[in-house]
Formats: sequence, structure tokens, C-alpha cells
Amino acid sequence: MEIVFWLSVAFVFYVYFGYPALLLLWRRLAARPVKKKHWEPTVSIVIAAHNERQRIEARLNNCLSLDYPRRKLQIIVSLDGPTDGTEFLVWKYSAQGVQLVHSREHSGKAAALNRALRGATGEIVVFADARQTFNRSAIRELVANFADETVGAVSGELLLLDDSQQEAVSDVGLYWRYEKALRLLESGIHSIAGATGAIYAIRRELYQDLAEDTILDDVMTPMRIVLGGRRTVFEPQAKAYDIVACCARAEYVRKVRTLCGNYQMLAHLPAAVVPWKNPIFVQFVSHKLGRLFVPWALIAMFVTNLFMLHGIYAVTFSLQAALYLFAALGYFLSKREVAAPVLIPDESRKAA
Amino acid sequence: MKRLVSLPYTFVVMNWAAVAGLYYFVTGKKDVWLGSKSSHRHKR
Repeated sequence: MEIVFWLSVAFVFYVYFGYPALLLLWRRLAARPVKKKHWEPTVSIVIAAHNERQRIEARLNNCLSLDYPRRKLQIIVSLDGPTDGTEFLVWKYSAQGVQLVHSREHSGKAAALNRALRGATGEIVVFADARQTFNRSAIRELVANFADETVGAVSGELLLLDDSQQEAVSDVGLYWRYEKALRLLESGIHSIAGATGAIYAIRRELYQDLAEDTILDDVMTPMRIVLGGRRTVFEPQAKAYDIVACCARAEYVRKVRTLCGNYQMLAHLPAAVVPWKNPIFVQFVSHKLGRLFVPWALIAMFVTNLFMLHGIYAVTFSLQAALYLFAALGYFLSKREVAAPVLIPDESRKAA
Repeated sequence: MKRLVSLPYTFVVMNWAAVAGLYYFVTGKKDVWLGSKSSHRHKR
């Protein structure tokens, strides 16, 4: 019982504290900086969307205002069975060179991406969502990393803004900052184990069609690239802006999808857990798999502690009980929260 | 007071999501990734 308890404690501490410390040390000993160079390859921006009537025009205006030669920029909107007339709004932009790939069938984001990539001509493909906007130099910052031949994919940074358009410092915002710090460290060593769906880029030649039921294209495609021998790096100067989830419950929905997608990725990419096939095996196991197993370790900690309430174990049980008691209080408080208003970031203020 | 309870709440919710994610994956519930009507959806 004691062994299970302490192994669980050690595992949880490793995932949240030991692994970041390991990355810090690792980067100090074996950093692999990307050989960035500013150049101007042809770029295709791909936006997969379903019903985005409210946001698509702002998104396209943002793409058209990016600091990149227009003649080298292809913008593709791949609509996946829209029912709200989004396609009519996109058509209005065809005179400005925006290309529409329209499917009447709602078959999912992965299928929409596959269709879009068939018409993409850029050397580099940038993936974007309809919801977010980019900073003006985002494309330049992303493609600069591809001057390094070892780089196959680049993830930008998603900034979650609060209602004053500053980076959120709520609990969800803090959690996201922690995640980004990990990615920066991982990128400095070799690769991150997944990109940010809101803003990431790949060499077009490395794209492989996704299964239609793929949940996380932004993890599947970069991981395939890593398994294929190239790097997936993090570029914090390429930014996408979004509004922070109003509360942990809203973030929970997104997180369930992400973690469900991680399970799916394990099924679709078993090579990711084979040490000699995955060059970022330690990072993948510590970061991605670790998060999947932490809740089970927490349950094991609590249950085993129930049977050991003497000495130091009385203290550990009190701490755990306090954690869950406060969490329960947080749950009841969150039920009274209201959704934050949806804001469009002021690009002129946020542009890097 | 709010921060005192919201940090543990966020921690527990994020971890519970891993359990729910496994449930959704095993049962094949598609709505977790096909749902796009939520007004507060955002991507990682």
C-alpha cells in the first residue's frame, strides 16, 4: 500500500514539476537552436470551417492584412457542410483571391483539411481556424524556421486574452502559460509533441491525408512529421489571439476533446510509444502520456491514503482532502459564473 | 478566496477531463469533436 502511494506521489510530481526541471537541465546541456532565416517561400493558408458566418469575414480580413507578399500567399477556405450561409460570405472575397472549397456534406475538420490540401500550391501550408486572428508578422515568423532543413513543422503561440484584451491570468490562462513554457523548452531540445491548431505550419510535401475521424489534426500531423525524422518547433513570435474560456468548465470541454484525441492518436500512431522509433519518446511519454495517467495516480494516492492515516499519512490525507474540498467549493462557485463576452482583439495594438 | 478554490477546481477539472476523454474514446462518442456550435469553442 505504501509503495503504491509513494509511487503515485512521485509520478504526479514528476509530471508537473520533475519533467519541467528535466527539460531545463536538458536544454542547458544539449540545446538545438533552429537556424532561422527570413525568406519568402510561397505559402498557402488553409482555414477549415463549418458554420462561421459570424467570424469568417474578420478572419479573412485578417489574412488579407498580413505582412507577406500577396502574390506569394494563397488563401483557401474549406467549408464542411455549412448551413448558415458562410459560403456566400466567402464568395465575396473571391475577387481578392480567396479560394473556396465547398463540401455540402458535414464530414469533419480532417476531411475538410484533406480537400483543401489537394488544391494547395504553397511550399509551406499554414493551418488556421476561423475563430482566431494572427499578428501581422505571423507568417514571416513561421516560415523563417523552415530555412532550417531539419524543421518540418512549426507551431505558433495561441494567446488567450481576457476582456481587457490582455493575456489572461485566470486559472485557465495560467494553466495555458505553463503549457507554453513546456513547449518552449521541448522545442529548444528537439520537438514539441503537437502543435497549436489555431496557428501551425508544415512543409506541404510532408502532409499525409488524415483519417476522417481524426480528432486532433494539430497533433497527428506534427507527430507524423517527427516520426518521419524532421523537427516540430515552437515559434512564440507567431501569434494567434483568442478569448480565454470563461471558466474551468468551458476549458473542460476543450480538454476532454484534446485528451480523447490523444487516446485516438495512440491508436493511430503506435510508433509514438516505441523508443527507437520516436525521437522525442521521453517528451511524449512525460508530457502526453503522463497527463493521461495523472488522474489514475491521484485516485491511487487518495484510496491508498484512506487505509493509512497514521503519522505523515494523516498530513498527506488532510492535504488531499483540502484539495478536493476546495475543488468542490470551486465547482459551486463556478456555477454562478457567466460567460465572458466575445471580443475581437484590436490587431493594431497586438501586432508584433 | 476565489483563487483559493478556483485553482484546485481547475486542477481537478483538467484531470477529470482525462478520465472523460478515455470514456468518450472508448464509447466512440463523436460529439466531442464534431460539435462546432458552442459559442465558446476554441482550439489548443
